[in-house]
Amino acid sequence: MNFGRLLRSAPTLWGLAGFLVVLAVWGPWIPTFVLTLLINLLLFASLAYSMNFIAGLTGYVSFGHVVFMGTGAYAWGYVVGTFGWHPLAGIVAGAAVGLVLALGIGSVALRFRGVYFAIATLVTALAARNIILVIPALGDGQGIILNLGFEPLTWFYTIWVILGIQVGLTYWVTHGRIGYGLRAIKSDEDAAKALGVDAARLKLFVFAFSGLFAGAAGALNVWTLSGVFPEPAFDLLFSLQMLAMVIIGGMGTLLGPLLGAVAVYLPHNYFLTVAVGAEFIVIGILVTFFALVVPQGIVGALRRYVPTLRGIIE
Amino acid sequence: MADASVIVAQVIFGLIRGILLGCVFALIALGLNLVWGIAKVVNIAHGELVMLGAYGAYFLNLFLGFNPLLTAPIDAALGLAAGLGFYFAILHRELRGKEAITLQSEMVTLVATFGLSLAISNLANIAFTGNFVGIPFDAGSIEIGFLQIPLAGIYVAVLSVVIISLTHVLLNRTYLGNAIRAYSQDIPAAKLMGINPTAVAAIGTGLAFAVTMAGGAFLTTLFPTGINPYMGALYAPISYVIVVLGGPGRMWGSLVGGLTLGIVIDVGQIFLGVEIAYAVAFLLLIPVLLLRPEGILR
Amino acid sequence: MSQTSEPEPAPPASKAGRTKLIAIVVAIVVILVALAAAAIYYFRLGGPCATPASLSDGPATVANPAWTAAPVIQSPEPTDKAIGSPTQAGTITVGFTISLTGRYTVEGTNSLRGLNATESWINTHGGITVGGQTYDVRLKYYNDQSDSGNVNQLYTTLIQQDGAQFLLAPYSSALTTAAAPIADGQDRVMMSHGGAADTIWTSTNRVNLVEVLSPASSYLKGSVDWIKANHSTDRIAVIHESDSFSTLAAQSAITYARSLGLTVVYNASYPTGTTDLSTQLNAAKLACADALIGGGHFNDGLLIMNQLKTTWTPKFVSLLVAVTEPSFQAQLQATANKVLGPSQWESGVTYSPALAQTTGIDWFGPTPAEFTQLYGTLNAGASPSYHSAEAGAALLVLADAIRRANSLNTAAVRAALGTMHIMTFFGEFQIDSRGLQVAHSMVVVQWQAGALKIVQPQDVAESPVQYPYTGS
Repeated sequence: MNFGRLLRSAPTLWGLAGFLVVLAVWGPWIPTFVLTLLINLLLFASLAYSMNFIAGLTGYVSFGHVVFMGTGAYAWGYVVGTFGWHPLAGIVAGAAVGLVLALGIGSVALRFRGVYFAIATLVTALAARNIILVIPALGDGQGIILNLGFEPLTWFYTIWVILGIQVGLTYWVTHGRIGYGLRAIKSDEDAAKALGVDAARLKLFVFAFSGLFAGAAGALNVWTLSGVFPEPAFDLLFSLQMLAMVIIGGMGTLLGPLLGAVAVYLPHNYFLTVAVGAEFIVIGILVTFFALVVPQGIVGALRRYVPTLRGIIE
Repeated sequence: MADASVIVAQVIFGLIRGILLGCVFALIALGLNLVWGIAKVVNIAHGELVMLGAYGAYFLNLFLGFNPLLTAPIDAALGLAAGLGFYFAILHRELRGKEAITLQSEMVTLVATFGLSLAISNLANIAFTGNFVGIPFDAGSIEIGFLQIPLAGIYVAVLSVVIISLTHVLLNRTYLGNAIRAYSQDIPAAKLMGINPTAVAAIGTGLAFAVTMAGGAFLTTLFPTGINPYMGALYAPISYVIVVLGGPGRMWGSLVGGLTLGIVIDVGQIFLGVEIAYAVAFLLLIPVLLLRPEGILR
Repeated sequence: MSQTSEPEPAPPASKAGRTKLIAIVVAIVVILVALAAAAIYYFRLGGPCATPASLSDGPATVANPAWTAAPVIQSPEPTDKAIGSPTQAGTITVGFTISLTGRYTVEGTNSLRGLNATESWINTHGGITVGGQTYDVRLKYYNDQSDSGNVNQLYTTLIQQDGAQFLLAPYSSALTTAAAPIADGQDRVMMSHGGAADTIWTSTNRVNLVEVLSPASSYLKGSVDWIKANHSTDRIAVIHESDSFSTLAAQSAITYARSLGLTVVYNASYPTGTTDLSTQLNAAKLACADALIGGGHFNDGLLIMNQLKTTWTPKFVSLLVAVTEPSFQAQLQATANKVLGPSQWESGVTYSPALAQTTGIDWFGPTPAEFTQLYGTLNAGASPSYHSAEAGAALLVLADAIRRANSLNTAAVRAALGTMHIMTFFGEFQIDSRGLQVAHSMVVVQWQAGALKIVQPQDVAESPVQYPYTGS
């Protein structure tokens, strides 16, 4: 394919790429305080893209997505703490565990539709946390305490790479043959099956991606905390935030998860220091509002109501 | 410790406590079951209703000195109002005029109630502080040999079963109940019979909320310090499992599911520890969904 | 990738030139960058941002201008100036996060009150003198909502936005673990007043984290000692929260009890946030236990006591953390009587300047009675719990270390902390090379007729242990 066509057909992709490149070049000069904000912003964006793979592309809403973050985090803690791996290698381990777990959970849970899938994933996450609590090698309830220092730049570039891969993959998945199949599943799974779409395999495929990146992001998250503890690692709030970002940004879109992450995360520091505790009240009301009034999210609404943007953002 | 008689005594205690707990779980799950069965909406904010019910009991006790058992009717009245409000503010938008609830609407209400649950629990965290509180209510206990059974637990268990039975009678023996059941089975046919679908769905939701909040009030007697803004995060998944176990729309199914879960949790912890007992209770859902999607009752 | 057709229903069908598309791409980039820039600008509004990153790279001189100049500008109107001080040079900002909502509300709130009391004491007693100039202490804190996920960002904000020159750790071991790397990464001394788990220090190589309180492993030893000395045939049941602090405390107690020849008949842990322990309590009873030790934090302590009412009446109950809080008794009333618990400090302790002199070490700060009185004045007559005292003591020790180092430099103050052996109203302070507390000792307390009495060790006891526990 030639460059011009790709550029013409994917301005959003190039926009995102430009954004990431600007961040990467700027990286070393960003003040640490802003850098920690950006790390978290990119982490949340990465989680949103992870959720987007399954909830956005297939319409399967997973309430227990934190299970991949949590197990990824523990995999990271285990290999770094016990075998002394480099934390970066630990992230790969976290991603691998997320992938394997997603294949395992997905092969069962993806048979359930709608709310049943949501509930099945939710209880799986709760059960997984409880099981981790009694594994002595993972520090039972005590967690794994590490002291790896404060390395914002390393974290920043790690999450940058993860996010970059995700954006590329999202584009590839939505614009390839797989994309057709997924859209068919999302609008009517039975009809799609009747048309010869291998629904089970496609769903498992995107769910595996979803688990892989959630595992990697979970591992990075505990790297920034220098230790893995069961409560924060399996905090269901992560699942809910991922979902909120995708819903607000726009389900199944390329730009939506980033916009959602910006919308959900940007006021975070304000809520941490000034309006303490109000954050999730606002997010909750926003989610309810979007679900009922703007189900397409920000990106969908822009495409619908601003015709000139239709060919540009996706 | 390994003595067989000790194990037997522990299991008996676990069974009794599991049954008492299971009855209250069943009542809480009944609230979810009603909405799920009637309006075909899975209310993610269900756990928050339990929490509000518990706080209702707590504040009525704190400021007016109410016995937690007596707070249940007040909680129920509040729940009825909340349910009607919830129906018209959220569900009516989505369900209005629909003849059957599609997967799409199901997901919309799922996500909308999810947003609501986040907002409510965090509002409660600001309003009530995150501190764990409890009601100092001790109705004494009866001693059978080596065992002490709290009387309060027996009261709430019996009351829970009574409420579940009354709901069953209401749904099966009254005009309103028939209308609700007709609505849940076939909306166009119900309309043809002169039933106002909006009124029926709204009343059903109100009833469900009333039952849930009463259940929240009962819980406070079983868990002396368990009242906190995020308690819904535990009772909501428990309710989902119970409803799936019993089958959505089956009122007695809730009781069976509740008892199963109560016993699995309380007897399970003797052998497996708390963590694994809860994990097993949660994961019970998966084989049931795979093998018996209609619930364990036929 | 298939390029045969556009997947979206509205493809860019127009024949617009490449320039237009590039313009659109640029527009999207600009929008996103503008968003980020706006965010950064917005977050910088909070206050004069300290020089980023390089702040701590300066040479270890006594009066680093970057450190001393910044706080002067942002110092609030000084309310209580020391009289007759050499030169009022400004303030020293001490930053920390504390749990004012969430799971650790009770412990966090009392820690903050204790800090406010010692802050007030330091500032009304001449502040801290460094290089011939006096500084007031200014506390800058945020509510971490008992969530370790908030800690990273809040501490970076404290250091870079609020110009915190020294840090205090948050409450609880989990939050302290999350905060500790920032102390080393951003080169600030951090005083731990609520993170007692030994593993925070022992499993890693920390530098700037300094412990003020006794480590978790020593919490329950006093209770075990008393059982050994007085009722050595009592069988012990241990039920504890499974977090690092409680597990360390409980497991050390079990090992210690067994080494003394005592019998431990039951041992179970429960996850954080549990709301029902009746099965475990009943199992302990059926295992014929006489004594119950363990617990976790405030909420679980209350839960255990409430469920004991209807399950079991052990002869001896000793629980972590919860017992020493005044609200424990306020909520349980008579049920709290005869319940024991380890305490880092009580207002009845006998530490005094005279004792310090006999021991041959220096004294710093108010006496226990003065601290209790000051705390009461500031908090409508409330009495301090040990959480108040340990937090307050952390600030006092820090102030003394700054004074001794005669410098605001992190390395100099940390070096002073490493060599100090002093006594405050909280007890002795001395750390080992890792920063772990070695000199402070704990007491055992018991609620007796609605009052908290020190019962162990013998030499400081206000009253003998009342035994057995009766449930009312």
